[in-house]
Amino acid sequence: MITKLLERGGDLEERAEVCVIGSGGGGAVVAAEIAAAGHDVVLLEQGHYWTKADFTQHEDQMLPRLFEEAGMRQTADGAIVILQGRNVGGSTVHNLCYALRTPDPILAMWEQEHGLPGLTPEALRPCFERVERSLKVKPILEQEVNELNRRIRAGSEKLGYSGFITKHNREACVQSGYCILGCSYDAKQSMLVTYVPRADAAGARIYANARAERIEAGSQHLKTVSGSVVDQSGRAMGRVRVQAPIVVLAAGAINSPDLWLRSGLPNGSGQVGRNLHLHPACMVAGFYEQPINAYRGIPQSYYVDQFINLERNPRSGYVLMPIAGFPVLTSVALPGFGRAHSRQMRDFSKLGGLLVLLHDRSAGHVEAGSSPGRPKIYYSLEPDDRRLLAEGLVHSAEVLFAGGAQRCLVPFQPDALELGRGDDLGAITKRGVREGEIVLNSTHPQSTLRMGGDPKSSVVNAFGESHEVPGLFVADMSVFPTSLGAPPQITTAALADRTAHHVLDRWKELVS
Amino acid sequence: MYRRPATMPPTDFAALATTRRGFLRLAGVTASFTTLAQLRAVPAAATEALSSTSFFSAAEQEILTQVVERMIDSDQPGAPRVRDTATVPTIDALCGSLDPAITQPLPTLLHVVDYAPFVFDLCFKRFTRMTPAEQDASLESWMRSRLALRRQAFMALRNLSFLGYYSQAETWPLLGYAGPLLLPKTDPT
Repeated sequence: MITKLLERGGDLEERAEVCVIGSGGGGAVVAAEIAAAGHDVVLLEQGHYWTKADFTQHEDQMLPRLFEEAGMRQTADGAIVILQGRNVGGSTVHNLCYALRTPDPILAMWEQEHGLPGLTPEALRPCFERVERSLKVKPILEQEVNELNRRIRAGSEKLGYSGFITKHNREACVQSGYCILGCSYDAKQSMLVTYVPRADAAGARIYANARAERIEAGSQHLKTVSGSVVDQSGRAMGRVRVQAPIVVLAAGAINSPDLWLRSGLPNGSGQVGRNLHLHPACMVAGFYEQPINAYRGIPQSYYVDQFINLERNPRSGYVLMPIAGFPVLTSVALPGFGRAHSRQMRDFSKLGGLLVLLHDRSAGHVEAGSSPGRPKIYYSLEPDDRRLLAEGLVHSAEVLFAGGAQRCLVPFQPDALELGRGDDLGAITKRGVREGEIVLNSTHPQSTLRMGGDPKSSVVNAFGESHEVPGLFVADMSVFPTSLGAPPQITTAALADRTAHHVLDRWKELVS
Repeated sequence: MYRRPATMPPTDFAALATTRRGFLRLAGVTASFTTLAQLRAVPAAATEALSSTSFFSAAEQEILTQVVERMIDSDQPGAPRVRDTATVPTIDALCGSLDPAITQPLPTLLHVVDYAPFVFDLCFKRFTRMTPAEQDASLESWMRSRLALRRQAFMALRNLSFLGYYSQAETWPLLGYAGPLLLPKTDPT
C-alpha cells in the first residue's frame, strides 16, 4: 500500500525486516526485489506521491513538486545548480531516459583500482537484463528523433564525429516532450510506474512524506530509522520510527551521506561524503533560422561520444547531449537580464541546446547541514576539467553551426558570448570556464559513499554493504567508486538489483 | 502553505547573517536604510496591511513587481505587462510553499534591493523611485558585484522573476511556445 502520510495524519511507527530509505532509481529496485521474494519491506520516501494526473506540464507547478529544494539546490558557492528528484520514484520521474549500461572500461577500472573483482560485465549481465526488462528498455526509432536531435546528428556527422541514437525506457510514447516535468501519460518507465507498483503489489508498505533523519545501528542487531512526516516545504508534521534488521540507504548521493553523517554512523575510512562527482554540465544555445520547437518530441535521443574514449582513458572526457526546455527552464539557463535576455527569449522557438556533460575527475564533498535535508555541498573544478569543459563548449558550438544554427550563445556570466557563423570559436577557450562565471548544473551527483574492496579507502563493499555496520546497505549513485562517465540510470538500478539479490542470498544471516 | 508570522519583522537581517557571513556586512550597511522603510512614507500600495494570504507584504510585492519588470524588460513591444499577469502572485505562492529556510531571507532581500542604491550606487533614490534606466543600472551593479553573495542574491531574484513571468500563458505567444498539451491548467492539490 502506498500511503501519503500527510493525508493520513499522525505518526508512523513500523517494524519490518527491511527498511529502504528513498524510492528512486536504486531504492525502488531493492524494495521491489526483496518484497517480491516474500519479505516484509517498508519503503520511506520524503517527497510526495504524485502520479500522472498530477503532472500538469506547467513549470511553475511541477518544478517545486518534483525537485529537491524546489530546483534551487546548489553548491555552497552557488556556482552549480544540482537537480535531484524529491518524490516517489525520485529522479527517474524527471530524467530524460538515456538507458545505457555501465561502460566496460569503467567496470574494469573499478575492478582493478577499487578492489571490485565481481563487477564484470559478465557478472552484471543478469542484473542489467532484469532491469532493462522491467524498464522496457529499447532503441529509439528513427522516426522518433525530433528536429533538434536530427540537426545535432547532422552536424555531428558532417564533422565526422562519433555518435549514435540511444536506447530509452519509454513505452507508447506520445512524444509530448514534457519528460522533465513528469510524464502525464505514464509512457516513461520510471520507478513510479515500474518498480514502485511492483513493490506495492508484493506487499511492501510504501510511505510518502516520510523523511529519515537518523539511523541508529547501536550494538543491537535491530536498527532504528527515525525521522519526521514532512510536507512539501519540509516542515515536520509528525514523527517516523521504523525498526528493521536490514536498512538500505538510497536517498541519493547528497542526502545519503548527509543522513550517514547526521546519524554519527561509523566512518573509519573517512570517506563518507567525500569523492563527490557531479558530471557538471554546461549548455551552448544554438539559434536556427526557423522555429524548430525543440521542446516537442523525445528531448534526448542522439548522443555524441566523440570526446570520450574510456578504453584509452577511463578517467576523463565528455559527451555532448541535445537539450531543450520550456520557457522557465530556458530563461534561467540563459545568462543576463533585461533587454538582452528578452531578445534571446523571443527566439525561444528557434532555440536548441547542446549540453557538454563532463566525466569529472574533480571531487567535492558533502557535509551535514544545520537541519535535516539541507546538506552543505562543496565542489570546485580542477584545471584539467575546466579545460575540458571549455573544449566541449567549442565542439558544441561547432556541431550546432554544422547542423544549421545561425548563431550560438555561450552562457558566460554576466556577459554571454554570442558567436555567429564563421566567428572564431577560440573566443570560448580564451574566456575559459570558471565556477560562478558560467551557468553550470548537475543532475548526476555520485560517489559519496563509495564502493571498494578496502575498508580503509571505501565505505561499502562490492554489494553495497557497509564495511563497518553489518546489515546497513547503500543502493544509489553514492556507491559509484568514480565518476561514471555515462548516464547513470541503468548502472544505479543494476547495482541495486545486485544488492537486493545479495541480501536475499544472505537472508538468514542478516535477519537472524 | 507557509505564511510569515505576523510578528516577524520585514527586515529580519539575522536570518541572512546566520546563513551567510558575507551578507552580514551588506546587512549592516543597509540595515539603517531598511529600517526607514518601516517608518517613513512608502508607496501607497505598501500601506495596506500585511495580507493574511500572502508571503510578501504589499510593500515587498511592489518592490518585487518593479524588479520583475526590469528583469524581463517590460518595455518591449508586445510583451504583457507584469501587473496584468499573475506573475507576482505566482512567485508569492511559490515562496509560500517552499522550505522557510530557503525563502525566509527573501522579504528582507527585497528591502535591501530597494535601499541598495544609497549604499552601492551612491544614488539617493530608492529602487522603487528610480527611472527604468536607473533601475537597470542598479540591478546591473548587483549582477556584477564583487561580493559573491550579492551576485547570488541577484540570481535568486532573477530566476524567481523568470519563473513567475514565463510561466504565464500570456507571455507564450511572444516566445512562440505553443504551451502544454494538457489544457486547461489543472491543480489537483
